[in-house]
Amino acid sequence: MQPVLELKSVTKEFHGVAALSDVNFTLAPGEVHSLLGENGAGKSTLTKIIAGVYEATKGQVLLHGKPVSFANPAEALRNGIAMVFQETSLVPSLSVAQNIYLGNEKFLNRLRGIYIAAQQFLQSLNFHVDPTMSVSQLGAAQKQMVEIARAVHHKAKVIIFDEPTATLTPEEKYHFFSLIKRLKQDGVSIIFISHALEEALEVSDRITILRDGRHIVTDAAANFDRNKIISAMVGRTLSAELYGSAGATRTARPYGRKVLSVQNLSMGRMVRNTSLSIYSGQITGIFGLIGSGRTETAKIISGVVKRDFFHGGETRLEGKSVRYRTPRPAVKDGIVYVTEDRKIEGFFETKSIAENIYLNYLASDQGTGLIVSRSEMVELAKRWTDKLAVRAIDNAASVIELSGGNQQKVVIARALVQQPKLVIFDEPTRGVDVGAIAELHHVINDLADSGLAVVVISSYLPEVLNLSDRILVSRQGRIVEEFSMEEATEEKIMYAAVH
Amino acid sequence: MALSLSKRAFNQERIVFLITIVLFAVFAVELNNFLAPANLLALVRSVAVLGMLGMAMLVVVLGRGIDLAIVANMAISVGWALQLIAGGMPVWLALCVGLGFALGMSLIGGILIAYAEIPSLFATLAMATFIYGFGRAHLITGTDVVYLPKDMGLVAQLGQGVVAGIPMPIIVAAATALAAYLFLKYTKPGRFIFAMGDNFNAARIGGIGVRPMLVFQYVLSGGATFLAGLITATSVGAMNTRIVNSNMIYDVILVVVLGGVGLSGGRGGVRNVIVGTLLIGVLMNGMTIMDVQYTVQNVIKSLILLFAIVSDSIINPRDEQTGQQGDI
Repeated sequence: MQPVLELKSVTKEFHGVAALSDVNFTLAPGEVHSLLGENGAGKSTLTKIIAGVYEATKGQVLLHGKPVSFANPAEALRNGIAMVFQETSLVPSLSVAQNIYLGNEKFLNRLRGIYIAAQQFLQSLNFHVDPTMSVSQLGAAQKQMVEIARAVHHKAKVIIFDEPTATLTPEEKYHFFSLIKRLKQDGVSIIFISHALEEALEVSDRITILRDGRHIVTDAAANFDRNKIISAMVGRTLSAELYGSAGATRTARPYGRKVLSVQNLSMGRMVRNTSLSIYSGQITGIFGLIGSGRTETAKIISGVVKRDFFHGGETRLEGKSVRYRTPRPAVKDGIVYVTEDRKIEGFFETKSIAENIYLNYLASDQGTGLIVSRSEMVELAKRWTDKLAVRAIDNAASVIELSGGNQQKVVIARALVQQPKLVIFDEPTRGVDVGAIAELHHVINDLADSGLAVVVISSYLPEVLNLSDRILVSRQGRIVEEFSMEEATEEKIMYAAVH
Repeated sequence: MALSLSKRAFNQERIVFLITIVLFAVFAVELNNFLAPANLLALVRSVAVLGMLGMAMLVVVLGRGIDLAIVANMAISVGWALQLIAGGMPVWLALCVGLGFALGMSLIGGILIAYAEIPSLFATLAMATFIYGFGRAHLITGTDVVYLPKDMGLVAQLGQGVVAGIPMPIIVAAATALAAYLFLKYTKPGRFIFAMGDNFNAARIGGIGVRPMLVFQYVLSGGATFLAGLITATSVGAMNTRIVNSNMIYDVILVVVLGGVGLSGGRGGVRNVIVGTLLIGVLMNGMTIMDVQYTVQNVIKSLILLFAIVSDSIINPRDEQTGQQGDI
């Protein structure tokens, strides 16, 4: 059978650096084809070439056997190739229905008409989204659903999903995968990028693995298992330390001092009467699904979100009652928050690695008074980038040029340079490749060993199980259950989180 | 170390610098008196005040703000001070009152922006209107033009003095630029302004007191504004409050943007403003010698701004790799 899409020795260079070299790729009709690889392996570049975002430096793209080169994503879409982006590309101020019909409007575009049509269309996909809602009011998962609906609506023959499930809840994931099956039956070919290997194994017909911009292997999904994929992705077999039987060989760290206690904290609909305690010298894992209030709780504790006076509850830091209106006093008291969204609020993209670290050092009132010291900055940056093994050509390089894992290390260095007593990591390994995850976990473990109070918020169960000495489960705005390391299992935690 | 902004060979700053040099060379060859020392001094002197206001604007723009109240603040605070002197108040006291007014007004603007969270565009637009209206109604009671009183003493030298053959306005403007450069590059608040302009949330989470810093930015800008006003008044012998209704504020924004300072904050520096100011200076001077009409001068100014921006985006297209979100 003729493949729908074929890439012949495609190479893509950015400023002379190859992001993809000599990659071949075929997509059969009605096939779900997973693209796997570490961050920076070239998955997104490959799909963006297919979708017309980039042009290949060398090589050929054949659609139904004919060579094509799309100038932009709109042209690709007209030719039946749709891409659902990692960062959503919806228009926030328009309604769901308007977004689905964007670019397809009739000359006389009656809103009522498209609302009705969109309603029926969304129902046929089993998506529970109100077509009249403005997209800016939707949650991340719902935005993703609208984006998928838009691709389906354009009758695309090839749909590319870039990390579609990262923001979805288990129920939404279930719907998503049944939708993929239906698209497949309709003869749509699907390219699926994911960091969740189980999903890829479950849903795909074939799997292609890329590493460092090169094609490593393509084979039927049935011929793969988790370990085989990981070893192909990283070029080495990772120890069970990262994946597999969590906690089997570890012993929980003992409780230290009670650093923080939160009593009956409330704010709006997101945090409802939650209570928790954090101890020094151990890692407290907080697991919860998206929307369970864990990030909001962390942001209140660290002053990132101001809790107004009429919201109830009390926070005590080492026995002293505190209520932060801004992050600054929290940082001064030794509470730092490492954001889940480093691109948006984690670092300064026009500034060098060194200055990024140094600015936080200055912000916590350390250093030489009012005047900045170049030598102090260089020395400080060297110390921290060595300590966290940040791989960069030079500390003068800007952070935006680094890979996800190294960016995250810089963000963590920015937090640690402030000499905290309590560090709250919110999704510390999101968008980070497999190799860097292990390194970041080492850093976090070392912090707890050195006596700091460490909180790790994660929606990835193996991570929580692997790192935590005790696990708190958050659901509907409060901590509902606490497990010791010994008693925690994936099933127990999930049961507490979804019920 | 890459504290410098860009490794690109031809950024907007360099394009504008190149245009300046080319224009300078063309004028030097074509126009008879252009290269005369007196004309070159006059050239720089004519843009000294604009450059100082550019510095005041720069500090705010780097922190991702904009201050549209600069010209109004300058005219009213200095005009009022002059009137107080004419009314018999000691010079030093009147100047302190004027400076206090300028700082106070920018303090209010800064508080509106930082604490009431009004966008800087609207807050400073409102402040500009308020300052001018209030000043004309209650402070400057005479005509639009407040003349410089005779007995200004040493202060008059700020505008009229000459040191080693160089007019004082140039020296003061250079000193302001140097101070701004040192402040932005080597002090903690200076670096914090860059950080806030680059990523406000990251700065806040990192523990920078972003609200006090915002207010501080506007107050600094108010101080520089008063100094620029004082130079204006002492060199031309009067403060004409009608400049508030001129397009001077656009010229101030022009010299900042022309040199390549990003209005989205965090990018640029003193050097960019100097380059932008010099281009305007060379252009205006040459066109004045050639007797080009004022209206035509504006057209040429706007074309040069557009040319600089367009050629920057052609020579340096948006970086596919970093301009796009998402991993590779």
